[in-house]
Amino acid sequence: MFKDSIVLIVLLCVVLGANSSEARRYNLDIQSGSLMGLVHVSIGTAFWQRHNLSAGIGYVPKLDYHAEMALYSFRYRYQHPKFWQFTLPSDQQVTVLPFNVGVSLLLGDDESLYFDLPDRYPDNYYTPTGKRIVFNYQTIFMFTPELEFYIDFSVLDVGLIGYIREPDFYYDNYDFLGLDGITTWGFGMRYQF
Amino acid sequence: MTFKNYILVLLVALLTGCQYEISPWSTDVDCPTSVSVAYNLERLRAQEIAEGLRSDYKVALLSDPQFYPGAFEDVIKRINRMDDVAFILLSGDLAETGIKAEFEWTCKGMAESNKPIFAVVGNHDALAFGKEIWLENFGPFDYSFSYQNSKFVAYNDNKYEFENLPNRIFLQQEAEGFADRTAAGGYTFAVSHIPPWEEDIQLSADLESYGYDLTIHGHEHNFDYWQVSGVPLAHYITSFTKEKEYGILTVNSSGLTLENCTSRGCTVASVRDRTF
Repeated sequence: MFKDSIVLIVLLCVVLGANSSEARRYNLDIQSGSLMGLVHVSIGTAFWQRHNLSAGIGYVPKLDYHAEMALYSFRYRYQHPKFWQFTLPSDQQVTVLPFNVGVSLLLGDDESLYFDLPDRYPDNYYTPTGKRIVFNYQTIFMFTPELEFYIDFSVLDVGLIGYIREPDFYYDNYDFLGLDGITTWGFGMRYQF
Repeated sequence: MTFKNYILVLLVALLTGCQYEISPWSTDVDCPTSVSVAYNLERLRAQEIAEGLRSDYKVALLSDPQFYPGAFEDVIKRINRMDDVAFILLSGDLAETGIKAEFEWTCKGMAESNKPIFAVVGNHDALAFGKEIWLENFGPFDYSFSYQNSKFVAYNDNKYEFENLPNRIFLQQEAEGFADRTAAGGYTFAVSHIPPWEEDIQLSADLESYGYDLTIHGHEHNFDYWQVSGVPLAHYITSFTKEKEYGILTVNSSGLTLENCTSRGCTVASVRDRTF
């Protein structure tokens, strides 16, 4: 299941990258947190200027109640052209790309999770427990055309649905317009090649 | 302040406010101890001592708050204003897919309760790493307690997620030896998420033979109240809290009364025969 998914995702990235009208560019992305694992490594490509696809694998160390697990991701990201520039005291120029949004399909690899309903259940009794959709927002700090760092905020599918359905519950119980109740953060580095 | 500065301030605020999470399937659920069975048993015991003997009290019956924590919280706040409700029975499915965030949202509502609240594990609560989360935050799957000469026995009958259920020995032992209290005007109640399964409908007769007077459930997201033909034991199913619906069990000297409550008011539930 996982191997098939990853092969399919990588192939899709390569095809889209190859069909891009721009010179093909790939990136290596290393992220931590934001529901993607302690470390998440992915390889992606840009297409149609501002669109990016990537596939990756994350690592979750042993937690209290389950063994270490792997996470597999297939991510789409849109990079808005808006940018600002500023100079650090060290004369290093930094370009800030504030508006980037994306969506990921996240697959968890653990025996407690499943993608196909086990035989003991009637058809459609549950949706797959090992498959989640994660929506994210990034602010990118580009140090050179090849190297950038970013801060990532992500919202899980059930969080977004809950927030839309019952915003008052989140306003009343969490900070920052209730976003504290559904949002997690992480950070990462991306290298273009 | 420029737009750019607003964005930077927002970023810093989100960074300080949001959680750093490495997986949707984390198990370190942030629920207060006030949601646990152990805490609420202590709370109920203290309440009972303070109240003394009561011959007339009510129990609020809630179920299936998953996906709609706001509606659930509203129901809790409504029940907080009912002085004659002694405690709340929450018949399972606190989460939809068994992930950390879903449990935490429901815990927010449970923590709002100004009465003891006892949760029973539901089938959805046992998905993903939900079983472990349940044991750590809420307590055992099977447990019992007494209140005002009556006994309430919570049991797990989520057959797809667990094996060899329900634990009939536990159910029988908990009901046994309760005859004295029953003679004193008490009752014996069984509470589980799923009502007796069609594949195991013998459970209804077994529970009746053990001495149970009524069973209370959820799972079906609609009010229902039935008994198996020829078995004088009624099974009450409360609706889900999405539409702010709940049941009220009244215990007094004239017997038991069950009401189905919606935003329009409460109506007395009427039992129907069911043939399997």
